[in-house]
Amino acid sequence: MTNNRRFENSAEHQEVTALIPWYVNDTLDEQERARVNAHVGECASCRDDLAMNQRIFDGIAAQPALDYMPMASLKRLQARLDAVQGQGPPPQILPAEPERIESPWRGLIAASIAAMTVAIGLLAADRWVQFEARAGQANYHTVTNSIPRPTGEVIRAVFSPTITLDQLQAMLDEAQLKIVSGPTEAGVYSLASNSSLTVRSSLALLRQHATVRFAEATTEPESGNAP
Amino acid sequence: MTPLAKNSPKERDSALLVAVAAGDRRALEELYLGYHRRLARFLSRFTPRYENVEEIINDTFMVVWQSAKDFRNASQVSTWIIGIAYRTALKSFRRHKNHNGAQNLEDYPEQTVDPTLDAEVSDWLMHGLRRLPVEQRLTLELAYQMGHSLEEIAAITECPVGTVKARMFHAREKLRQYLPTLGGGPSDVPARLG
Repeated sequence: MTNNRRFENSAEHQEVTALIPWYVNDTLDEQERARVNAHVGECASCRDDLAMNQRIFDGIAAQPALDYMPMASLKRLQARLDAVQGQGPPPQILPAEPERIESPWRGLIAASIAAMTVAIGLLAADRWVQFEARAGQANYHTVTNSIPRPTGEVIRAVFSPTITLDQLQAMLDEAQLKIVSGPTEAGVYSLASNSSLTVRSSLALLRQHATVRFAEATTEPESGNAP
Repeated sequence: MTPLAKNSPKERDSALLVAVAAGDRRALEELYLGYHRRLARFLSRFTPRYENVEEIINDTFMVVWQSAKDFRNASQVSTWIIGIAYRTALKSFRRHKNHNGAQNLEDYPEQTVDPTLDAEVSDWLMHGLRRLPVEQRLTLELAYQMGHSLEEIAAITECPVGTVKARMFHAREKLRQYLPTLGGGPSDVPARLG
């Protein structure tokens, strides 16, 4: 006890005590570390202090921390920057566009592409009309009741079985989606937009996550085709 | 995307900040995404509401955007950004009087606890930390959660090294009173408190 009191009143003890937190987090330089080691070897009070600080450090490290997905927050920052700068829509985080090649043929190429696009569109429309006509005359029927589905455009998604509720909620918040039904026995959720964000944009945000095994947009009919 | 993958994080941050100072929004976004996780984990220990965490992070990066041109390499970019976040958080916590750490430990003398199970220590530690004055808790968390050195904390908080040591000392003493078993076992308590 006498030895401890002698240590505790010394300037060395006071200085070493103040360094203990940074000894624990391993940011002292070699000289300071050696100084703490030498003092702690002789001072019981500092050994106790070191043990206590180590437990605080370990306790803080052991506490769970939530991981937040930054994209939704970044979008709000972009909106603020737009407001400050008086700009149009914020830039997307995408690879830079390739430089345009100036060419005398550019107008002709553009016209050709436009014509091909119109032709493909007409062909697709024709196929769609034929498909719709066939779909109205289904030559099968289901033997179980179908699960009630929302009408309108929805996303069907399957998530990793290891996903936590917090992760799922954060992901849905980011993509501005809500669960409207599911999961089915196959683990399929139906998700609908809860904001003005388009389903396509929500889908893109959803697909960025490794925990999303499958995500596709689909349009729910006004009434099911099951009898 | 800035082609800086081969550089060290410090060089990468410096190059990004130079680009931000020149008005490059993509560089700001890259910097934001690089710091968001670290800052969110740090700040979420002080406020349970993600809206508050996001507000502090976004306020921080508004300052980064507006002040990048004034950065003179007097410190590391990470220290500078975390320093802005520290001051923004401090203002926010003072503004929101419902912040959990707004009370002093002295206001709760009867709440001294004596956890006997290791599994409970973490929970009691959290209670003890919440009762520290905000500057003391921020100092302790900067060291123990974010792993900053004494000098880095002095730069982040814009305080002399002696002030950082004093804040840490008082934080540790208050936690010692609140969590008497942290230093070892109940048998150590009389000697320590005596």
